[in-house]
Amino acid sequence: MFHALRVSDNEARDGASAARVGIGGPVGSGKTALIEALIPVLQRRNIDFAVVTNDLVTKEDAERLRRSGLIDPARVSAVEAGACPHTVIREDPTLNIAAGDELEARFPGLELILFESGGDNLASTFSLDLVDWWIFVIDVAGGDDIPRKRGPGLLRCDLLVVNKVDLAPHVGVDLDRMLADARQVRGTKPVIPTNLKSGVGVEAVVDAISAAVLFRV
Amino acid sequence: MLRIERVLGSRVEPALSEALHRLEHEGAVDVANVPATDLARRRLLITTRGGEELAIALPRHEKLFDGAVLLLEPDRAIVVRAATERWLRLEPRSIADAVELGYHVGNLHWRVRFGGEVLLVALEGRPEDYTARLENLISARRVGVTILDEDTADAVEAVEPPRPGGARGGHHHHHDH
Repeated sequence: MFHALRVSDNEARDGASAARVGIGGPVGSGKTALIEALIPVLQRRNIDFAVVTNDLVTKEDAERLRRSGLIDPARVSAVEAGACPHTVIREDPTLNIAAGDELEARFPGLELILFESGGDNLASTFSLDLVDWWIFVIDVAGGDDIPRKRGPGLLRCDLLVVNKVDLAPHVGVDLDRMLADARQVRGTKPVIPTNLKSGVGVEAVVDAISAAVLFRV
Repeated sequence: MLRIERVLGSRVEPALSEALHRLEHEGAVDVANVPATDLARRRLLITTRGGEELAIALPRHEKLFDGAVLLLEPDRAIVVRAATERWLRLEPRSIADAVELGYHVGNLHWRVRFGGEVLLVALEGRPEDYTARLENLISARRVGVTILDEDTADAVEAVEPPRPGGARGGHHHHHDH
């Protein structure tokens, strides 16, 4: 039944559009830090990209990226999610879809759009109407029991990033066990440990994005 | 790697079905088995039954579906087969059990269909990850559990269609995750 949708005014834009990748996770786990770390690597690999950030009632994350000097500020769009960050990435992603469409219209050669969710809880997941593939970011300081709690975000994401691995000894976390638990509950789906402050694991995250949605290996 | 940037149409469309029928006789129709949970993706790497690696990158207004024709050449074709979805059939023993079950299932944002006195939950992961969330109800035998394939689930839902005005289950209940 869906093929009927092909006949529309979108026909002129037939052919692949930019890949869309979601980045979700709890407050403070490092979603914006991940994007800041990804930007120079994506630039070095000549991947044409833009970013959509989601905040509750401000444009704080978008402003942080725009001011970073890492990226053309015009390539960062902000969506205000209101009280429920998961609603605008899962139940009704219309605002985010529109923000992505608008970026694609302004930057015709765009290959990749990163959608950063507002900080939420372990249950937040992305609608596949919005993104093609999505990353969930947790951090070591949040506690090594997080993987065992089997939140839907952690179970269903295409890539799990475990950030702040450098903090493990300071917060009494057995990192090896935390990673083993994460891999056990996720079956064959990938887990990448990162320290975004020092760049550990960032290349591996870009490799995973490239392979999954840009088909560059 | 073969890049697919659009769906040509459905295998049942007359314009395509004749050519497909001919190729089928020659054994030249390859099948891409797509898991139910991946159907909504516009971008997907998948290997066909014949061993061809496909890099699917559809425009945002297109979607994969069962029978979607991805490639049609004079000597070969590739068609999508949607892997059937599995469902957890939950049967509460009393109205009180049903109320509690409904509360939990709603709270967990699971995708459901209604089947009269049973509730069907779409399995998008391992069944044990679902039943563990209902452990108290299941171990106390307040809710019975079985696993159904798509066809059986269709039959269960058809027994008692949801009432008008009520929440519509199944394919029309868009509370995806």
